[in-house]
Amino acid sequence: MKRFVFTLFIIPLFFACENAIKNEYAEVIVEEGTEVEVDTTLNAAVQSLKDENPGIPNAMESIESDNPLIGFWVGYFRKDDEKMGDSYDKNIYAGDVFYWERENKINISIESIEGEKVIGRSIVAGNDRPFEGTVVEVEKGIFDFKVAEPGDDYYDGEFEFTIATLNGSLRGTWEAYKDIDIKYRKYELEKKHYKYNPDQDLEYAKTYVDWSNTIESTETFEYEEGEFEEWITTEYATSTHLIYEVNGSARLLEKSEVENMKKGDLTIIRNAIYARHGYSFKNRFLRVFFDAQDWYIPVYTDIRNDFTDIELKNIVLLLKYEKNAAEYYDSFGRG
Amino acid sequence: MLQYLRIACKLCYYLGLAFFTYLMALITLQYIPLNFEVSFLVLKDELVNKLHYQIAFFAHVYTSILVLILGIPQFSLWLRNKFKLLHRNIGKAYIFLILFISAPSGLIMAFYANGDGFTKTSFILQSILWFVFTWIAFKSALKKSWISHENFILRSYALTLSAISLRLFKWIIVSVWELPPMDTYKIVAWAGWLVNLLIVEFYIYWKSQQRK
Repeated sequence: MKRFVFTLFIIPLFFACENAIKNEYAEVIVEEGTEVEVDTTLNAAVQSLKDENPGIPNAMESIESDNPLIGFWVGYFRKDDEKMGDSYDKNIYAGDVFYWERENKINISIESIEGEKVIGRSIVAGNDRPFEGTVVEVEKGIFDFKVAEPGDDYYDGEFEFTIATLNGSLRGTWEAYKDIDIKYRKYELEKKHYKYNPDQDLEYAKTYVDWSNTIESTETFEYEEGEFEEWITTEYATSTHLIYEVNGSARLLEKSEVENMKKGDLTIIRNAIYARHGYSFKNRFLRVFFDAQDWYIPVYTDIRNDFTDIELKNIVLLLKYEKNAAEYYDSFGRG
Repeated sequence: MLQYLRIACKLCYYLGLAFFTYLMALITLQYIPLNFEVSFLVLKDELVNKLHYQIAFFAHVYTSILVLILGIPQFSLWLRNKFKLLHRNIGKAYIFLILFISAPSGLIMAFYANGDGFTKTSFILQSILWFVFTWIAFKSALKKSWISHENFILRSYALTLSAISLRLFKWIIVSVWELPPMDTYKIVAWAGWLVNLLIVEFYIYWKSQQRK
């Protein structure tokens, strides 16, 4: 009888959470517009991607035009404090590691101007939204724009901005249609030319994400978008100088160098490949980090057809080790 | 007073062993039923499809936990005296499993260990020594050379326990020093069993002095 009760106690222990030997909730964040098949064999993965995604790759460079108004206007999309009032509560802090005033890099792409009619799109925070509206030349070289997004997306709104072609600057504001968290934004942008450059290395940019620290705690961050809190619990972010030295687009990475990388390095090096292709990040930490890179321009939200062979192989390799590092690095299990 | 200290030590030892064996069992359970998606195997993508590796891997994983568990009661003097036949039968099972399955499969896996020759050498050496110690322990028992049996079975179990110590050291190194994964692995591949063997050799020496 004693033995029976004893066994009764023991059995459930074996079905207890596996957390003792691995991080069950460890997540490797793979951005939606970048997914590739991670098969057990590298070559099979590369081949299957080529077979399954016969889609059209995006343009590798922004188009030049005679009209100086047309092109990519890039800069920070900031909270408009004048219209929002005191909005310090909307800033985000994560210990000493992360401080963010909710600004995002935005790319207002003016695509065509015919008479007064303007058509274009804006890419920011993983959103790619079309707009159309009007442009009027109020003075010589000063153009007033008023363009609107369709309105079927929760975050749609209206832009009002002025371009001064003499000094190539764009200034304006934006208002959301709905009552979203940050309803009013302002921005000062400049014209930038996008070109895919596989040799673009990461720069020591001043960034509010301190990747050399670990983010482990689940302290109460009361945010409306729950995803942020979750991310803190699952991410183990440490990065080293390697992120400035290893370029996953420029050359094939060796297994021997990848197997000794910590998860933070693996994550950044992999996502840097996406950043070079102009990927607009949905994940906040990644976004804040890459926005701070001067060369980075958000251009596309789906880049699955744009990877080179070298990049595909590196992504698959990096993901494998990332998954292993996420689950086993700091737990009792092997890995 | 010394009595209590003795009891306390024994309790710590058994509790500790039980806890880590429990963790090892959890690790083993990941592979039941046959599971190739576990991260460890995903890293070995060129190997995981080869039949000889699959057989060696799963044979090793399924038997080693038994070997670990079987060894635990064998060290209890009380059990050995009270249930002589049980000690012998459990002992034969322990030895049989190591000599015929766990050690040879471990040797095969050792040739494919993560890392380079440095780590591979450690695991190859470990498998061979594990086999040799266990074999000599068995022969000593047959010849009724009890001191030799005790010494070599201690060495054998020290290597059996390396499954636990390797992972324990890994966890400590990562928690305290946060060394990168492969550097850590290179350290624990050797430390995992050398430390155990060293402790056991000290004990054997001390015991031999005691007998004089």
